[in-house]
Amino acid sequence: MRLVAPTVFLALFALATPVTPVLAHGPTPQKVDQSVTIAAKPEAVWKVVGTFAAIDTWHPDVARSEAVDGNAAGGRRKVTLKNGGTLDEGLDEMNDKTFTYSYRLSDADLKALPVSSYSATLTVTPDGDGSKVEWLGRFYRGDTGNEPPEELSDAAGKTAMNAYFGNGLKGLKAKVEGGKAK
Amino acid sequence: MIGRVATLALAALLAGAVSGPALAEKGSAEKGLAQTVYAVSQEGGTVTPVAPSGAAIPVGKGPAQVAAGPDGRLYLAHSDTHTVSVVDGPSGAVLARLPFAGQPFGVAVAPDGRSLFVGDWSGARVVRLSTATGAVEGSVGVGRDPAGLVLDTRGLLYVADRESRQVSVVDTATMTRIATVPVGEGPFALALNPAQDRLYVACVRSGDLHAIDTATLTIVGRAALGGMPYGVAVSGDGARILVTNQQAGTLVVLDAALTPVATIPVGRYPEGVAVSGDRAYVANWFSDSVSVIDLPTLTETARLPVGEGPRGLAVLMSKEIP
Repeated sequence: MRLVAPTVFLALFALATPVTPVLAHGPTPQKVDQSVTIAAKPEAVWKVVGTFAAIDTWHPDVARSEAVDGNAAGGRRKVTLKNGGTLDEGLDEMNDKTFTYSYRLSDADLKALPVSSYSATLTVTPDGDGSKVEWLGRFYRGDTGNEPPEELSDAAGKTAMNAYFGNGLKGLKAKVEGGKAK
Repeated sequence: MIGRVATLALAALLAGAVSGPALAEKGSAEKGLAQTVYAVSQEGGTVTPVAPSGAAIPVGKGPAQVAAGPDGRLYLAHSDTHTVSVVDGPSGAVLARLPFAGQPFGVAVAPDGRSLFVGDWSGARVVRLSTATGAVEGSVGVGRDPAGLVLDTRGLLYVADRESRQVSVVDTATMTRIATVPVGEGPFALALNPAQDRLYVACVRSGDLHAIDTATLTIVGRAALGGMPYGVAVSGDGARILVTNQQAGTLVVLDAALTPVATIPVGRYPEGVAVSGDRAYVANWFSDSVSVIDLPTLTETARLPVGEGPRGLAVLMSKEIP
């Protein structure tokens, strides 16, 4: 067994610092899975969707998005939705070769989406002469307790996440195929 | 690549040859102890035998985690319905539904099968129940959002306190917490090695694996893996630590020094992992399947369909029917 005592001590020190809002992961994860076909080559689609923080150029529900720390693992985007809520999301993986990226929510904002946490992956693959974009994820309802109110239930989370991903892909398709802004 | 795999396989064999638990396990197999691997599907409300494979068993809404008892029984935590169900593995019969005053999640069974330990996710405690009657035998406070539960042969229960960044250690004889070991962010899954001198802790949010020395209850190793390590298991010879990386859709294989030796692509959002003999089984939550991994070659040899949303796996030991 490798001894890594100094690292561990440093890590413990870091952990002693109080950290603000924790994400509540409940015990019942839910799926979201949306896809769309686009009449354009994957390269052309990736040009639009492959910059993590540029979601405000194609997602119709997004008012603005700000890049933090670049377009690779560790990079983040601070998204402000048109409903006023914000999503602080961090990249776990960005692959410019296979046209896929994975990310997760850092801080829950129930005003943005009625979920307490999520991780998601967006992938662009060839589909005939065009492309298929799949956007899938795993999330937990807004209230992870045993008796969540209706607006923070699994069903409410499913509706909201499917709408957010679905609207986004429609916007992406319109942007790439029409070449115009959302 | 072939050369490398061959070396790894040889290393595994050598480690197995000198390791006590591996020999003990081989011995039990010769005595006719059969193992059955089950996958629990939370959305589907089923338990599916995957090795040897069989028909899915309906067990009721939302079974999240599972533990195998010594008597052919599976104990399932139904987080959203305040119940723990007791299922006879071989027959598939639901024997009992024990009420649970809380949000049950992690489960562990005493070696004699008489007591059951259940983590109360929103109650920050672990409750001890009688498996015969379901009566509460005791309770102990732990950290926030207790996730994985593992019991060792000394009667120490290890609890991954997901929102408290620690592992709580409970003496089950007295139901008192004797220690907390700080780990990374979001500890979820736990696994002991066969010698039970190491406890491995997979931390979902900090993306790392911690090794705890169970004698001193201190951290003696850490591997930064990235992504979301969601499940952990140890091979029968203790030489391989298997960690699912949920975000990447892979099973990461480490040696006992926590050096990565392979990354095996599996289904989407892999979660639980379990070892039986020279195979590992991975529950692919999003893909509704279980990946079968051949440990000597470190390759995926099959992907079996199971009920929707598989998360937990359990290995039942039973006497072979002659």
